[in-house]
Amino acid sequence: MKTASTALICIVIYSFLMVPFTTYLHKKPFVEKLGYVPSVTALKIVSADHKELVAASLVLKVLMYFGGQVEKPESQIHIPPDYMAMSRMLHGAVKLDPYNMDAYYFAQSFLTWDVKQYKMANDLLAYGMKYRTWDWYLPFLAGFNHAYFLKDYGKAAEYYKRAGELSGSDLSRLLAGRYMQESGQTDLAIAYLSAMEKGERNPSVKKNFRLRMTAFQEVRRIEVARERYLAERGVAPPSLDVLVRDGMLVPPPKDPYGGEFYIGSDGRVSTTSKFAFAGAGRDTTSKESK
Amino acid sequence: MMTMIGITLKGIFRDRVFQGIMVTACAFLLIPVIASLSMRQVTELSVTLSLSLISFILLLLSVFLGGTSLWKDIDRRYTFSVLGLPLSRQSYLLGRFCGTALFVMLSAAVLGAAAFAVVCYSSAIYPADRPIIWSTMALCILFDALKYILLIAVAFLLSTVSTSFFLPVFGTIAMFFAGGVAQQVHEYILSPASESISPVVRQIANGLYYLLPNFEAFDLKVNAIYGLPLPTGGLLLTLGYFFVYVTFLLSVSTAIFSRRELR
Repeated sequence: MKTASTALICIVIYSFLMVPFTTYLHKKPFVEKLGYVPSVTALKIVSADHKELVAASLVLKVLMYFGGQVEKPESQIHIPPDYMAMSRMLHGAVKLDPYNMDAYYFAQSFLTWDVKQYKMANDLLAYGMKYRTWDWYLPFLAGFNHAYFLKDYGKAAEYYKRAGELSGSDLSRLLAGRYMQESGQTDLAIAYLSAMEKGERNPSVKKNFRLRMTAFQEVRRIEVARERYLAERGVAPPSLDVLVRDGMLVPPPKDPYGGEFYIGSDGRVSTTSKFAFAGAGRDTTSKESK
Repeated sequence: MMTMIGITLKGIFRDRVFQGIMVTACAFLLIPVIASLSMRQVTELSVTLSLSLISFILLLLSVFLGGTSLWKDIDRRYTFSVLGLPLSRQSYLLGRFCGTALFVMLSAAVLGAAAFAVVCYSSAIYPADRPIIWSTMALCILFDALKYILLIAVAFLLSTVSTSFFLPVFGTIAMFFAGGVAQQVHEYILSPASESISPVVRQIANGLYYLLPNFEAFDLKVNAIYGLPLPTGGLLLTLGYFFVYVTFLLSVSTAIFSRRELR
């Protein structure tokens, strides 16, 4: 009887304690960490016949980490994402399971846009193409990297042709044709990001694509206004403020990454954020120098 | 021997092992939720998780049933009363082995059915880019079960020479890992990267490659997950390898067990 009543009292106290306890833990400051992952050779031995499972868990770990970085809850101590650790982990994942599409897809998205490691991204995609011989996505991504980032239009057309053959998609064929000539880069970036955003299921990655697409749509708006100014006045606009003041850019463009758009001396539209949260406000010197 | 198979199966069911498997199999319910976290391969991840869960449960079964079955009988002096009956030691051992192997096959069939249901559900919600080849998935589960039956044969061999459960249980686990990497080590030894390794070590590694069971051949997970074609010739060779290796292990086990002094 005594023990039963003691247990009952414990349950009641536990119930009362749990409410403030869970609230405290929810608000407790934390840092999103990727943690340590052993070498691929060690993982290959330990994972035995579960290599695909271990590879998938590495990819999910990176996704969770990145998801935490994008969402940024109030209680999180924010530090820039550790892209190199993310890359290491995804490279390890494809060594364990060279067919894992999530790894290629996600590594490609941040290695190019955020870290600017185009060669590393292309090498990874080429490695994936050796295994996923049926997949049109990998040459599609490689084509975009060659055209948009590396300005290698011949190689881009080659990859887009391959993607078009594998998928029968009009988009890939269209891009293959358009990349033969250096024009309409922003439109192509928007088309690419729109295709990626539509096919994306992961909310954090989808949000990331949408954000980048919004930024490029703003760039496109500025480019249209710039062309209009040039056609009407016969000279390039001296600054973005002139376009806003003359009513050619209404409402004023807003960088979703928190930076400020500007027109460089070469006429190209750029932003102080460099299309990344980490870059917001850090590139004011380049804006001033332009 | 048939009686021994029946007794073994009854004993396993009496120990509520099957109920234990069913409780563990509840993890199948979580698979569609976890798989939905994937960006581009939800169905593929469902197949990966289902096959890995089956493989893990079968590993536990083969290590603990295979490693403790004989040892428990000897330790409880059950073998005295059984071997007093008109039953040869060979029939006793083979009956125990076949009963355990049959239970592993039965568990693989039940868990396989659960895996099919989970993958069906996942692929209905998130249609896969790659076709799901059900026959490949079934063959993958079958070959997985064969691999663990081979491991049970290893556990039985270790049980025949052991006086405690340490060698059969931990020896079987060690053999599972060694058999899993045997192929990788062999390929490394054949590659130019291994030139710096001494010839003696290379010879030992080569010898071990032919001596240890090779579990790599039984792993068809990549084929099942990504719908890759199965090499028919390779599968037939693997089946041949399985029968020869298991028969060899059982014949050595029965030879040792027949000569073993049971006190």
